[in-house]
Amino acid sequence: MSVSAKDSYQKLKTAAQEKVKSLNDRPVVWVGTATCGKAAGAVDVREFFKEEIEKRGLDVRVMEIGCMGHCYAEPLVIIAKPGHPRLCYGYLDEGLTRRLVQDFLEGDDPCYEFALVALDPNDFFPTFTDFPRGVYEKKIILEDCGFIDPESIDEYIARDGYEAVAGVLEMEPEEVLRQVKASTLRGRGGAGFPAGVKWEACRKAAEKTRYVICNADEGDPGAFMDRSILESNPHLVIEGMVICAYTVEAAQGYFYIRSEYPQAVRRVNNALEQARDKGLLGNNILGSGFNFDIEVFEGSGAFVCGEGSALVSSMEGEMGVPRHKPPRLTASGFRGKPTVLNNVKTFAYVPHILRKGVEWFKNTGTEKSPGTAVFTLVGKVTNQGLVEVPMGTTLRQLIFDVGESVPNEKEFKAVQIGGPSGGCLPESVLDTPIDFDSLYDAGAIMGSGGLVVLDEDDCMVAIARYFLEFTQQESCGRCTFCRLGTKHMLDILTAITRGEGEQGSLEILQELAEDVKNGSLCNLGGTAPNPVLTTLRYFGDEYEAHIKERRCPALMCTHLVAFYIIPQKCSKLCNACVGSCPTEAIYTRDDGLKAINQEKCVKCNSCLKACPPEYNAVVKLSPPELVEERERENNK
Amino acid sequence: MELAAGEKEEILKHVGAVLEEFKTTRESLVPMLQAVQKKVGYLPELAMEKIAEGLDIPAVDVYGLATFYNQFRLNPPGRYQVKVCMGTACYMIGGKVALESFERRLDIQEGETTPDREFSLERVACVGCCSMAPVVLINDMVEGRVTPTRVDGLLLEYKDGEEKISEENKEEARTKGADNSSSNEEGERSA
Amino acid sequence: MSAKVTLTIDEKEIRAANGDILLWTALENGIYIPNLCAVKEREMPAASCRLCFVEVEGKKKPVTACTQPVAEGMVVNTRSPRVDRLVKTAFELLISDHRLGCSKCPKNKSCELQKIAKERGFRLKSKRLKRLPKKEYIDDSAELFIFDRSRCVLCERCVWMDRHVVNSGVLGFSRRGIERSVTTFMEKKLAQSPCAGKCGKCVEVCPVGALSFKDKSERENGSPEGP
Ligand SMILES: Cc1cc2nc3c(=O)[nH]c(=O)nc-3n(C[C@H](O)[C@H](O)[C@H](O)COP(=O)(O)O)c2cc1C
Ligand code: FES
Repeated sequence: MSVSAKDSYQKLKTAAQEKVKSLNDRPVVWVGTATCGKAAGAVDVREFFKEEIEKRGLDVRVMEIGCMGHCYAEPLVIIAKPGHPRLCYGYLDEGLTRRLVQDFLEGDDPCYEFALVALDPNDFFPTFTDFPRGVYEKKIILEDCGFIDPESIDEYIARDGYEAVAGVLEMEPEEVLRQVKASTLRGRGGAGFPAGVKWEACRKAAEKTRYVICNADEGDPGAFMDRSILESNPHLVIEGMVICAYTVEAAQGYFYIRSEYPQAVRRVNNALEQARDKGLLGNNILGSGFNFDIEVFEGSGAFVCGEGSALVSSMEGEMGVPRHKPPRLTASGFRGKPTVLNNVKTFAYVPHILRKGVEWFKNTGTEKSPGTAVFTLVGKVTNQGLVEVPMGTTLRQLIFDVGESVPNEKEFKAVQIGGPSGGCLPESVLDTPIDFDSLYDAGAIMGSGGLVVLDEDDCMVAIARYFLEFTQQESCGRCTFCRLGTKHMLDILTAITRGEGEQGSLEILQELAEDVKNGSLCNLGGTAPNPVLTTLRYFGDEYEAHIKERRCPALMCTHLVAFYIIPQKCSKLCNACVGSCPTEAIYTRDDGLKAINQEKCVKCNSCLKACPPEYNAVVKLSPPELVEERERENNK
Repeated sequence: MELAAGEKEEILKHVGAVLEEFKTTRESLVPMLQAVQKKVGYLPELAMEKIAEGLDIPAVDVYGLATFYNQFRLNPPGRYQVKVCMGTACYMIGGKVALESFERRLDIQEGETTPDREFSLERVACVGCCSMAPVVLINDMVEGRVTPTRVDGLLLEYKDGEEKISEENKEEARTKGADNSSSNEEGERSA
Repeated sequence: MSAKVTLTIDEKEIRAANGDILLWTALENGIYIPNLCAVKEREMPAASCRLCFVEVEGKKKPVTACTQPVAEGMVVNTRSPRVDRLVKTAFELLISDHRLGCSKCPKNKSCELQKIAKERGFRLKSKRLKRLPKKEYIDDSAELFIFDRSRCVLCERCVWMDRHVVNSGVLGFSRRGIERSVTTFMEKKLAQSPCAGKCGKCVEVCPVGALSFKDKSERENGSPEGP
C-alpha cells in the first residue's frame, strides 16, 4: 500500500486551508441567499454591495452563504473584516447596504447600531451565547449552515470536512457499524428508527448490490430544514452518505430531492462534482480502493413519495404508491435490492459522530433520543426560522425562550408539531420534553420537524381541517381507509367549520380517525388522523361550540363570523376601510359613518386591518347572527 | 386539444431530443417527463405517446404518472403562473384569502388558466419563506405579505406594465454576468 | 417443497406449507375471510381493500391475512371486536363510494360485496357515512363487456390481469387519492384501445359489477325488476 486515506486527506486539507486563508485576509461580505433570503430580496442586496464596493474601488469579496436559521431578519449578511469580530446584520435594504460599505468597509465604523450579533467572542458586541436563544440552542448539524460557502468544498474541508471519511476508510466496516449502533442515532425523517439497526439489516442481506438513498422529499407543508441544510452545507450530508455506503458496502447512492427545490438540486450537484474532483467520491475514494458515487433524482411533488416504498417506486418510473411491508427496504428496496433510506438530517449527524466520538454525541440530548432536534419554527412566534436544540429541551423553552414568545400580546394557544402526521398540543403539556417517545405519548410525533405556534386567533377545528385536507389530497388512493376514510373525515370537518355539523358528528369523526389510523396500508393514512385526534382530545369544547352554537371561538371560520363596524367608534373623517375592501362591501351611511353590506362581504380581514388603531371600530362577531342583534340594538 | 400548426413539429423535436439524452429504461420516465415539460410547458398527448413508444411501456402508465404527480400538467400554463403558498404558516396568516382574491379577480378556480392564457392559478406547499407569509409566487418571483389589495395591485402590474418582466430579465442578465463563485440561479425555473 | 407447519385458525388445527399465505390457507380450509383485492398468483399483494384483517396471537394489532405468511404454531382468530370494527368500517367506506342499485347490476348475486355483507351481517347502506357523489362513467364501446367506473372498488385485479397474464398494457391507474381510477390512456374508449376490448380476461377477475360481460347485463337489464 502506498499512501493511506488519512495521508491523502491531510494533503487535501492543507491545500484547502491555505486557499481559504489566502481568501480571508481581505474583508468579505457574506450574503445569505438560501430560498428564504432570496425571497426577502437577498439578490438585490448582493448587487447593491457589489455596486457600492466597485464604485468605491474597495478590495472586498462578496460571497454567498446559505441559511443561518434567523429567517425573521432576512435579508442577512455577515461582514468579516480583519481587526473586527465577524458581525451579522439583518433586515438589509439599499440604504443600509450603502451605509455599511461606506462606514464599515471603507471607513472603520462597524455600525453596531445595526448589528444583530457578533459571531466571534469579543469585548464589544454580544454573541449568540449572550441571547436566550443561544443559551438553549446547541448546533451540531446546523453548525456551519450559513457560515460557510456551500459552493466551495475547500471551506468544508478546511473545517475538518471529510476527515471522518478518511478515518472510516481505515476502519473495518463492522467497526463503523458498531460505532453508529452504539451512538443510538435515531432517524430524523419522522419515526425515529435507529440508524445503526437499519444499516446492519442492509449489511446482513445476502444480495451484494446495495443502495444508499437520502430522503430529501420533505413534503411537510410547514418544514424546510432539509432544504436549508442541502442549500447551506451539502457536503455534510454527502459525507454521511459515503460513510453509510462504506458500512453497508454499497457502490451507488441517490439524493431524492423534490424538484420544487431547484436551488438545493443545483447546490448538491455542484457539491457532488467537487467531491468527485477531489477524489472523495467515485472510484477509489482517497486511494482506499472503495468505490461509491451519488446521483440526484428529482421527485415530482407528491407527499406520499416521502414514504420509503413509494419513493423507491417513483425512482423506478412508477406511481409513488406504497406497498405492504415487510419486506423492508433493507431487504428489497430500489430495483429490489437492499437499500438504506435515511433522512437528510440523519446522514448529517454521522460525520460528527465518527469524528468526535460516540460519547460526545450521547452527551447531548436524552438517553433514548441522543443528539439534537431541528425544527422549522414558524407561525405566531417572534423569532421564526430554523432552530436546533438538544433533545429533552421542553416545548416551553423552545417556544418562549428560543422563539421569544407569541408576538402582538396575543395568548398562546397550541403548538402543532410534525405537520400533517403530527398533532396539536395545548399549553398544559408544554413541559413535555422534546424527544421521540415523549412527543408520541402526548399524541404528536417528532415527524419532519415542522413546528407551528398557534395563538388565540387560530381555530383548532380549522387547523385540523387544513392538515386533513392536505393528507386527503396527497393520499395515493390505493387503500380503502386512506382514500375514503380521509375523505369522509374531511367532509365532516368541513361541515363543522361551516356550522353544519350534526349531533353525533364528533363520535363518527373519532371512530373514523381511529380506524383510519389502525387500518391504513402505509403511514400516510396511519398518521393522517393525528391532527384530528389531538385537537379532539385537547380542544373538544371548540368543536362543540362550532356544532352546538354555530360559533367559532377563535373567530377564524369565515362561515361562522361576520364583520361589523361599531357606529359609536367609527369616525366620519376616515375612509380607510372603504378603500381597503376588495369587493366594495363597505358603504358610507347617510350619517357619514361606515357600514358593511353583509351580502358582498368576503370576510377577508382587510377592513379590520385598515381601521386605524385610534378608532378600532371593526370587529368580528360569531355567530354571524350577532350582527343583526347589534344593529337592532343600535336602532332602538 | 387541437395542436396549432408547427406545435406538433416542435413537440416531436423536443421528445426526440429527450429520448436521445436519457437511457431508454423505465427509470428514465420521470426525468424524461420533467425534461419535456420544461421545454414545452406541459405534457401534450403526443409527447406521452412518443415517450411510451420510445421506452416500450404502456402509454397508460405515462398518463398515470402525468396525472399522479403534482408537478405535471396536461394543459399549457398561462403566461404568468400564479402560485399561492398554502404552507401551514401562509395558510394561517391569510393564504386562503389571497387564493380566493385571485380566484375572484381572475374569475378562474385554482388549477385553471384564464381563457386568454395570461394567468394560471395554482396552490403550492411551503415555499420556505414563512416569515413573509402569506407568500405568492408569480413566475417564481416571490411576493410577500399578499393582502387582497396587493392582489389587485399585482395583477395590474403584470397585466399592463411590461415593467415586471423587464425587471425579471434584468435579474436574469445580472445573475448570468455575476461573479464566478455564484451559479446563475434566477435564470432557471423550477418548471 | 417447503416443510409443513401446523397452525390454528378459529380453533381449527390446519396444516399448510411453510410460507403459505394465511388468507389462502384459511379459504382453502373452508374458513371465510372477507377479501376483494387478493390474487393468489400475485407476488407482492396489493393489500389495498383492507377487508381481510385477522388477529394473530402475539401481534399488537390486527394484520391483513393476504400479506401474512403462516408459521408453525401460529394461532389465528378471524373474528374479534377489533377486527370486526375495522372490517365493518372498511366495508362501509367502500359502499359509500360504490354505485348501488344491485337489482340492475349484472353481478347481482355473484358480487363479492354482497357476499361479504351476507357473511358478516352488514347492510348495504351505511347509517354513519354519507354517500359520496359519484360521477357516472360508463364505457360500453367494447364488443364483449361494459366498464362502469362508478361501481369500481379499485381492487387492482383487472390491471394485474392486464399486465401479468394478458400482457396488453391497456388498463392502468390515473390520478391519486379519491380521484384514483382505473383508466385507459387519456381515458379513451376501450374500443379505441390496442386490445379493443376483445379478450375479456379482466372481466373475469372483477369482484363487483365494474366490469361485466354484455350478454349477461342485457339479460338482466331487460328484466322487469325495480331498483
Ligand atoms: C407519508 C410519508 C411521508 C414521509 N415523508 C418523509 C420526508 O419527506 N422525508 C423523510 O426523510 N422521511 C419521510 N418519511 C419517512 C420515511 O418513510 C422514512 O421513514 C425515512 O426517510 C427514514 O429515514 P430515517 O430513518 O433517517 O428517519 C415519510 C413517511 C411517510 C409515511
Ligand atoms: S385481501 Fe387483504 S387487503 Fe384486500
